[in-house]
Amino acid sequence: MTATLPNYETNPQPSLPPNMKLSPIAWARKNLFNNWYNSLVTIIVVVVGAILVFYSGRYIFVTGQWEAVRKNLTLLMVGIFPRNEQWRLVVQMYLMASALGLAWGTATARSQDRAAETGIAAHRPTPLDLMRRYWTILLLLVVILALTQTIWPTLFTLSTLAVGLGVRSAAMRLPLSARQPCWYASAFMAILSFQVVSGTDGNAWWWTSALVSLAAFHLAGTKDFTKYLDSEIIRPFSRHKRLATAKDLIRFKQLTQIVSVIAAVIVVRIAYWLIGETSQVSWDNWSGLYLTLVASIAAITLSFPLALLLAVGRRSSLPVVRWLCVSYIELFRGVPFIALLFVAKIFIDFFLDVETPLSLMTRTIIAFTIFSSAYVAEVVRGGLQAVPKGQIEAGQALGLQPPGIMRLIVLPQALSAVIPAMVGQFISLFKDSSLFAIISVVEFYRARELIHSQQEFTTTAISETLVFVAFAYWALSYTMSKESQRLERHLGVGER
Amino acid sequence: MHKSSGRLLALLGLVLTFSLIAVACGNDDDNDATPTTDLVQNEGTLQAVKDRGHVLCGSRDDVPGFALLNENGQYEGFDIDMCRAVAAAVFGDADAVEIVPVTSAERFTALASGQFEVMNRNTTWTATRDGTEGANFLFTTYYDGQGLMVPASTGFTTLNDLADANICVSTGTTTELNLTAVFAARGIPFNPVTFEGFDTLVPAYEEGQCEAMTADSSVLGVFKYEIEQDGGPDQHIMAELISKEPLGTVVRDGDTEWAQVVNWATMATVQAWEFGLDSSNIASYNGSDPNILNFLGRDGFDPGLGLPSDFAIHVVQQVGNYEEIFNRYPQLGVLEGSVNDLWSNGGLMYVPPYR
Repeated sequence: MTATLPNYETNPQPSLPPNMKLSPIAWARKNLFNNWYNSLVTIIVVVVGAILVFYSGRYIFVTGQWEAVRKNLTLLMVGIFPRNEQWRLVVQMYLMASALGLAWGTATARSQDRAAETGIAAHRPTPLDLMRRYWTILLLLVVILALTQTIWPTLFTLSTLAVGLGVRSAAMRLPLSARQPCWYASAFMAILSFQVVSGTDGNAWWWTSALVSLAAFHLAGTKDFTKYLDSEIIRPFSRHKRLATAKDLIRFKQLTQIVSVIAAVIVVRIAYWLIGETSQVSWDNWSGLYLTLVASIAAITLSFPLALLLAVGRRSSLPVVRWLCVSYIELFRGVPFIALLFVAKIFIDFFLDVETPLSLMTRTIIAFTIFSSAYVAEVVRGGLQAVPKGQIEAGQALGLQPPGIMRLIVLPQALSAVIPAMVGQFISLFKDSSLFAIISVVEFYRARELIHSQQEFTTTAISETLVFVAFAYWALSYTMSKESQRLERHLGVGER
Repeated sequence: MHKSSGRLLALLGLVLTFSLIAVACGNDDDNDATPTTDLVQNEGTLQAVKDRGHVLCGSRDDVPGFALLNENGQYEGFDIDMCRAVAAAVFGDADAVEIVPVTSAERFTALASGQFEVMNRNTTWTATRDGTEGANFLFTTYYDGQGLMVPASTGFTTLNDLADANICVSTGTTTELNLTAVFAARGIPFNPVTFEGFDTLVPAYEEGQCEAMTADSSVLGVFKYEIEQDGGPDQHIMAELISKEPLGTVVRDGDTEWAQVVNWATMATVQAWEFGLDSSNIASYNGSDPNILNFLGRDGFDPGLGLPSDFAIHVVQQVGNYEEIFNRYPQLGVLEGSVNDLWSNGGLMYVPPYR
């Protein structure tokens, strides 16, 4: 048997693959019109496609009665939120933009530092990259803004973006010692932004002060901060130019801690005074697309850690823990979500006789979280089981404790393996929020239904509102899916 | 480290157990036809409401004329105004009310569980509901009856014309039961097509999924008006009504004090109408009719209902008398000469004397 091997000796420089780049016409001829039936298929597809584009274009730009959406845009976006309290939403968006900008800027600065240390250049997305990544959301924004009747929403959106980007670039220029305070400030602004729209009750400012005081106490205690204060502020302005002793510094640190706790409480008090403690809004005023987004994001972020605990607990060697986790998962996976919503809305009241019951929104989000965590827990467990036992044994051989093995070895592999399933679950969760309508919560889809209760639109523009709502759901779900794929590529999951 | 994480898990387990027990019990209750109202505070509702600072009123958000969430995110309609009347009576402020929308299926359970303490949600007063739902039916604010609507082009005029027809009806209401009972009693075969709400029912009817739709005649009037306004085919509401539907205010069983408050707040709108008082002239009344002076709480007349003596002024000034409320919503039809007119004009609106 003789095999013809390439003769490297006579041809030491293997030639590059032929240049496959064809001119568009040649490409079309090669791929679309290479024989009679392919040509036929191409023509049919082009004709059908052109007809579809023509009709949908005509529907969108000419025949569609978008008046129903246009008139009720506020209803779709924020539902029953009192119209004279809408400034709260504006304030929240600015606060949220600042919080996100701050967190993003700080994270970018940190990854830049890390890149400088390791010599591996950090990947920095350009504005064009970001636009490509979030084009569906941008398109949704443009569509919504195109349907508004005044210029204000557009200006507001642009200024929100400007605030976010401005804060980001400012945060990137801050010194290293400001990084920790930035994280805290970002978290505080995010909390505050929700306090603005939730109508703070008498207790809210206490627990927020407690949180902020803790953060301030911690910050004032860090070495960086004491040194910074000492070298930059105290010494340049004090008459005594002597160097501070270690004892001085400790005393100074304690003083700073006390002062910053007091300052924190005062800041929070003022913030709450500005918000207005006796406002007319409450969580139950949240509705429309706003509610759908907030409830979904809350349920996703809360159910993920809960699901991790459940999945790990289900594989625990302690029988009680295992049984509890198994019964939790099996019970809530076996119960229809609608039943769970009814329990949350109505039946809980028969058992818990409390003076001030939880607001409907809180209950709904809790039910949503409980339900989804049971599903996500099983997805995570699938990932845990996919990690070979050898990995755990290797961890043991390195002398790691079980929690360390779980955290450093098993979970990273397990979670990255189940990203598609998990994101699928989250997307389905996002759309399940439309079931809130069953317990009379005016979420996004219900708001659309209510449009057709209005005299003007009882029987008209049914398809237009449906198309609009469907497009919004699609745009958001598609972004979630795209982001998960990006995360997978980033972690190199598909390449193993 | 291991030990502490074990303890943490045990704690988590404990929390889970409790939630499991709570939810398991909740599911048991789901099957009970009659929710046990003992678990909810049945007395002292008035004081609880006063402490809270506003009234919680169960209603709906999808029937124009009765109760609708409008494009400004506000509730409006006849039923909503009746809720506002209670708030005006108790607090002197018609805005001190929070509307809690409920679906037909969950309304009585929601009432029993304390989601709200008064309900105006086109709810028909029936013996079974009075007997088993833990509900206390008060003054009937609107006398309605179930009717059938067909496109005028079909030429259908009597129930017999509807043999083997598809009839659109919404579920979970007395409407569906009446329809079945009446058609069965007359031996007319028909095919019910059920929907959860009118927002899906009406488009289906217009598309021709059913030859007829049935609902309370007030609701049919609303949709007849809307379909024709939108350039749809002319509609015909059959003259024959197939049921009596007294729609009124409902509270929980077991708290007569609160029931009195709600009842008299509602009836004050009719009483004012009878006296010829409306939102513009009630505060400036300077006549000498002793009954009216009592009604207005002049000279400190207090019948001991637990309401401020001048509650009627607040109710009528801020919400209006019955006639004003009714005529605010053209969808409800013509008041004059209808069954909802004053007793002295041949209608059924009759309230006990205020003395």
